[in-house]
Amino acid sequence: MATVAVTLNADRRIATGVDSDVALAAQGDASAFERLYRAHVAKIHSLARRMLSPNEADEVTQDIFVRTWQKLGQFRGDAAFSTWLHRLAVNVIIERRRTYAVQRERISDDETALEQMAVAPARIDLAVDFEHAIEHLPAGAREILVLHDVEGYKHREIATLLDITSGTSKRQLHRARMLMRRQLGAA
Amino acid sequence: MTMHEEWTDKLSEYLDGELPDAERRQVTAHLETCEDCSRILEELREVVAAANAAPPVEPSRDLWAGIAERIASPEGARPVVLSGPWRRFSFSLPQLAAASVLLAMVSGWAAIRFMPREVSRPPDVAVAPPPAQTGEVVLTAFSSNDAGYDAAVADLERTLLEQRARLDPETIKVVEDNLAIIDRAVSDARQALDEDPGNGYLSDYLSETRRRKLDLLRRATSLAEDLN
Repeated sequence: MATVAVTLNADRRIATGVDSDVALAAQGDASAFERLYRAHVAKIHSLARRMLSPNEADEVTQDIFVRTWQKLGQFRGDAAFSTWLHRLAVNVIIERRRTYAVQRERISDDETALEQMAVAPARIDLAVDFEHAIEHLPAGAREILVLHDVEGYKHREIATLLDITSGTSKRQLHRARMLMRRQLGAA
Repeated sequence: MTMHEEWTDKLSEYLDGELPDAERRQVTAHLETCEDCSRILEELREVVAAANAAPPVEPSRDLWAGIAERIASPEGARPVVLSGPWRRFSFSLPQLAAASVLLAMVSGWAAIRFMPREVSRPPDVAVAPPPAQTGEVVLTAFSSNDAGYDAAVADLERTLLEQRARLDPETIKVVEDNLAIIDRAVSDARQALDEDPGNGYLSDYLSETRRRKLDLLRRATSLAEDLN
C-alpha cells in the first residue's frame, strides 16, 4: 500500500506543476502562461539562436510563444508539453527561414562555403566555443547540425521537416561537422 | 574527390552507426591503417559531444513583456475550438468559411434529391440587369438567360486570375475549393431544374447558389486588391 500511496502522491505532484499551468493557460490564464514561458524560454531561445542567428532569436522566440498561446487549445496531451512546444518552435523557425527565402540556398551542395570556412577564421588557433563556431556555419548545414546533434532529431524526421531527402540531410550533417571541426580549431 | 575524401565522407555515418554492415567493416579496416582518418573521426566525435552537451542559454533580456502585450491584443485571439463531449476539433477562419459554404450546398443538394416533386410553380424569371456603370448584378431569382450575371462572373474570375499572386496559397485553395463546390451545386440544381422546370424551390436554390458564387468572387478579388 505504501508504494501505491507514494505513486499517487508523485502523480499528484506532477499534475499540479506544468500540467496544471498548461491547462490554466489553455483557459486563458496569462500568469500560468508566463510560468510556462519562464520554464521553457532558455531552450526555445537557444534553439532559435542556433538555427537562425543571435539577431533574430529574440523576435522569433516571442513569435513562438505567441503562436503557442494561440494554439494551446489544440494541445491534447498526447506528448509532453515540452515536446509539443519544441515541435511548434521548430516549425515556426523553419517557416521563417522559408519566408526569407533562405531555403533554396540551404539545400545546395555547393562546396564553396566549405572552402571559405577552411581559410576564413583568423582565430583557427583560438579556442572558439561551440556557440560561436555554430554561428559561422552556412545556414543549411547549421540547421541540420542543430536538429540532429543538439536536438536529437533523426535524418528521417529532418527530411520531413525540411522537405529534403534523408541523403541530403546526412550529407549536410557531415559537411557541418567537418566545418565545426575546423572552427573549433581541431584541424 | 580524392580516395581519402571517399573515406572521410563516410565517417559521420560511421560515427552515427548508420552505415550498412559491409561498408562499416570496410571503414573499420581502413581506420586501422589510416592515422588521418582515425584523427578526423576523433575530432568529429568531439564535435558531436560538444553539440550534445550544449546547454540552453537564457536570452540576454526578458522577452515576456512583448509576449504579454501581443497575447492581450487581437493577435493573441485563438481560433474557434469546439469542445465538450465531442473530441476537440479546431478550425481556422478560412476553414470555417469553407465549411459554411459546404453546409449550405449540401443542404441544398439534399433538398434537391429528396424533396417531393409535386410542388411546382412557374419559374420566376428575372435577374435585374447589371447597372452599366458599376457592373453590379442583383439576382432576384434564377433565369437561364442572365448574360449580365455571366459577364460579371467572367469579369471577376479574370480579375481574380490576374490578382492570384497576391493571395497566399491557403487562401487560394479555400477560394478554389469553394468555387468548385458551388459549381457542382449549380450543375446539380440546373439538372434537377431541367427535370422539373416549374419547381420554385429549385429556382430559388439555384439563384442563391449563383449569388454565393458572385459574392465569393467579389470577396476574393477585393481581398487581393486590398493586399495590393
